[in-house]
Amino acid sequence: MIRSYIKIAWRSLKTNRLFSIVNIVGLSIGLASTLVLFLFILQERSFDSMYANKDQIYRVLLNTTEDDLETWANVPSALAPELKANIPTIIESGRFFHHGFGESASIKTDNDVFIEDKLFWSDASILDIFNVEILKGTGSENLNNPNTILLSESTAKRYFGDENPIGKTLTIDNTTSFEVKGIFKDFSDNSSLNFNAIAPFMMQNFAKNPSWNNASFETFVMFDTATPVIRDVELKIQDILNKNVEKEALWYTFSLQPLERIHLYSSNYSDSYITNYGDINQIRNLTALALLILLIACINYMNLITARSQKRATDVGINKTLGASVKDIIIRFYIETGLITAIAMVLGGLFAVITLPIFNELAGKHLAISSLFTIKILGFLVLIWLVTTLFSGSYPALYLSRFSPKEVLKPTSNKGGIASVIRKGLVVVQFSASVVLIIGVIVIHQQLEFIQNKSLGYNPENVIAISTSGIRNGASGRALVNAYEQLPNVSAVTRSQGYPGLEVSGRSLYKRNTEKSMGIQTNRAEQNIADVLQLNLVSGQLLPKIKQQGDTLVEVLVNKTTVDFLGLSPEEAIGEKVAMQLGDNAYICGVVDDFNFASLHSPIGAYAFHNASREPKSYLLIRFENEILTETISKFENTFKAVAPNTAFKYTFLDKNLELLYEKEQRTANVGLLFSILAILVACLGLFGLAAYMAEQRNKEIGIRKVFGASVAGIVQLLSLDFIKLVLVALVISFPLALYLMNSWLQDFAYRIVISWTVFLTAGILALGIAMLTVSFQAIKAAIANPIKSLKTE
Amino acid sequence: MENILLTTEEAFRTVSSGRKTVTLLDNINLTVKEGEFISLMGPSGSGKSTLLNCIGMLDDFTKGSYTFLDEPVHSLKERNRSKLYKEYIGFVFQAYHLIDELTVYENIETPLLYKSVKSSQRKAMVADILDRFNIVGKKDLFPSQLSGGQQQLVGIARALIGEPKLILADEPTGNLNSKQSEEIMKLFSELNREGVTIIQATHSESNAAYGSRIINLLDGKIVS
Repeated sequence: MIRSYIKIAWRSLKTNRLFSIVNIVGLSIGLASTLVLFLFILQERSFDSMYANKDQIYRVLLNTTEDDLETWANVPSALAPELKANIPTIIESGRFFHHGFGESASIKTDNDVFIEDKLFWSDASILDIFNVEILKGTGSENLNNPNTILLSESTAKRYFGDENPIGKTLTIDNTTSFEVKGIFKDFSDNSSLNFNAIAPFMMQNFAKNPSWNNASFETFVMFDTATPVIRDVELKIQDILNKNVEKEALWYTFSLQPLERIHLYSSNYSDSYITNYGDINQIRNLTALALLILLIACINYMNLITARSQKRATDVGINKTLGASVKDIIIRFYIETGLITAIAMVLGGLFAVITLPIFNELAGKHLAISSLFTIKILGFLVLIWLVTTLFSGSYPALYLSRFSPKEVLKPTSNKGGIASVIRKGLVVVQFSASVVLIIGVIVIHQQLEFIQNKSLGYNPENVIAISTSGIRNGASGRALVNAYEQLPNVSAVTRSQGYPGLEVSGRSLYKRNTEKSMGIQTNRAEQNIADVLQLNLVSGQLLPKIKQQGDTLVEVLVNKTTVDFLGLSPEEAIGEKVAMQLGDNAYICGVVDDFNFASLHSPIGAYAFHNASREPKSYLLIRFENEILTETISKFENTFKAVAPNTAFKYTFLDKNLELLYEKEQRTANVGLLFSILAILVACLGLFGLAAYMAEQRNKEIGIRKVFGASVAGIVQLLSLDFIKLVLVALVISFPLALYLMNSWLQDFAYRIVISWTVFLTAGILALGIAMLTVSFQAIKAAIANPIKSLKTE
Repeated sequence: MENILLTTEEAFRTVSSGRKTVTLLDNINLTVKEGEFISLMGPSGSGKSTLLNCIGMLDDFTKGSYTFLDEPVHSLKERNRSKLYKEYIGFVFQAYHLIDELTVYENIETPLLYKSVKSSQRKAMVADILDRFNIVGKKDLFPSQLSGGQQQLVGIARALIGEPKLILADEPTGNLNSKQSEEIMKLFSELNREGVTIIQATHSESNAAYGSRIINLLDGKIVS
């Protein structure tokens, strides 16, 4: 029996080519999208699952209790030792921090100088918690001794080639030398932690003098069991905090985050040394998109199969009079659907292989094609095949199987009243979804455009930031500034801790005589910073040119928001003493206009440039004239090498760096565009097929009309109008939906566009245009056909 | 052997169309004995097809009683009713209604598949009937490759393969030319001689003449 069904299905597939192609191509596009996204989700979900103790590992988070409530992934250095000492269920705790608070290190070996982006200073216990595998030499115990370093396998190869790295020495930032003691296995791609080089945390002052105030250290703990009672532990941590920190100085609490949630649920946390976070929302959105495309493809299938319900009804009727039961008919339709989806599956797999590199490019991922051929993916394919078959087969199977056999005996069958209503409804659903996607893509692009063109209050163009972390003595730093100032195309040079777009030091700003405080970004800089960034001085003066050795006076150049918070006018603020954790001797010397120092996701906060020697000035910022970029850079590099021959030259452009802040949105836009195009393509395929069948069904009517003098244009209009109406309904449905969805997306930005009516107009015209193009092709074909043919009955 | 195959007593079929009630079959009293060859005659709309559908249990009488092989069809459940017609009734259609996607052989085989007849037995039965209808050479062709007469031949073969007691034929020659018609009607009389009961609806006097009894219908009533 089943064989006979498969035979029927296969033969009817071959006979109805258009129907089959539309369905198979549509479904396979849907399946390919689902497959690629499933792969992506699998990869994202697999993060940190390779660690043996993964269920026992938690990260400590810091929650600020000041008015801007934030969660940081970095905590004070004093915490980790206290946790292990005071909480019995915590069997291990450890801290690490990224070299220079997130900068690259200059590493000098005997032969060469390297830039190392992933040098971390870590407690030995971190390696034990994560079971870091040692391939050569000795392991974590080395981190209890100074001047030792561990390298990853590939890093050792990069530094020393094929030589044995154990026992070699290297110098970090031209100051301290280290002996390579061990080689660990490279961290895997889907690990949140990813170290190339690990140096002892104990060498840092933060370890020697643990503090409760500087929250700059990523801290992990390991429990004795996989099911610690987190609430209890958090209370105990609070006790430790209360014991060690005075109540007035306490501006935070701690919480614990399980390792398995770190990758996907941390995108809103600031201050973390982990850089490869995923985003659960992105996963959710992409899943929704993939399912939407699959849904549209399934709808195509249902629509096309019921569009031919006349032939179907006859088929069902014949089979019933020959003895088929309802069950037989249902099975038959499911088998037919299953066959089509199976073919679509194979084709979809092929599409997925082709699409994967494009997706990787757009989404900035590295999914391997080989990962498509795993048991898990195979299982997923079978599952999706079943779901698609059951879903798209359900409507024809259940609807058509009810046809009574007497339909057969009536040569003119009904027009399928309910079927045609449902069919229209489904077309509306498809087009609504497509229009929402079109609008979404337009709005995202407009917002990104808006961000890129928004005046930021400073000028990030033609500013280069050169890392000087390898230059530790002030003399070379000054020599470098002088050397650059001599260059003809340089207009201003300064040294600073950081630059807009880069996180600098977060401190607290206190309003005098009140309890009020707010977070403030502080950036140690020099006078020229205002010229380099082209800041607008509102009142007072810039930072003094020269600061004497031993001068304890701290000058602060603040932005407008800062003085607004303090309740002062820019003029009043000059000379005021200010409490912002820069000592008791800090005074406001000048006020600049507000500028967007962070991404436009957040409103402008308080920002201060100061000259307290608390943080190193790790960057050289240079404003240059617009010239041929490559020439400029090589000139800059030569100057750099002349002053600091043993230091690697590493630079970024401020405007390029800003673009990175919107990378996530840019990728969302790209991926969204890709899937929107696919969704619209599949919807059009369906419409195309449907139009073809409608034209076929109305063949006789068209013939009669032509015989009685209807023009081609009139008939095209007749056939297109039905579909145009449906698209118009879809527009009405999708506009408010899109408006709502995109407005909530825009909420993520402090600076955002207002969605204008032109967006809807564009989307509407686009959708109508595409629909008309699709339908009119069939309509014209039907309209120019010879009426004799359609009217000749057999 | 004059067993009664079916009887209808005071059977009506009415349908409501809008606010009006239309009577399609009006007080049908009919007894069909096994081995009869009945021709239903009458103009278009006289109720021939409706009566055939009701006898074939594809439609219901709305009033009155209908007994088929001593089973009171009017009070049977849908499931039992369809079992009954699958077992005992074969249908032949004016438009042949072969399944386009299946070959001659497969079309004839289909009713046996629904009856779950074993493969070896199926082969024998189909081979037998192909042989008897002289269409062995056509068994691998698709319906579209056959002439109308040949298609109807296959349709009859398909109706017969289940060894029904009754064949219901609605204008079986309506789409055929006179020569083809004659062949089909000859086949029907031959089958009838072998014991198959046949009820056909027809417009054609000459076709009706093949039957053993003619029933004339007009406006849903049996007039003679």
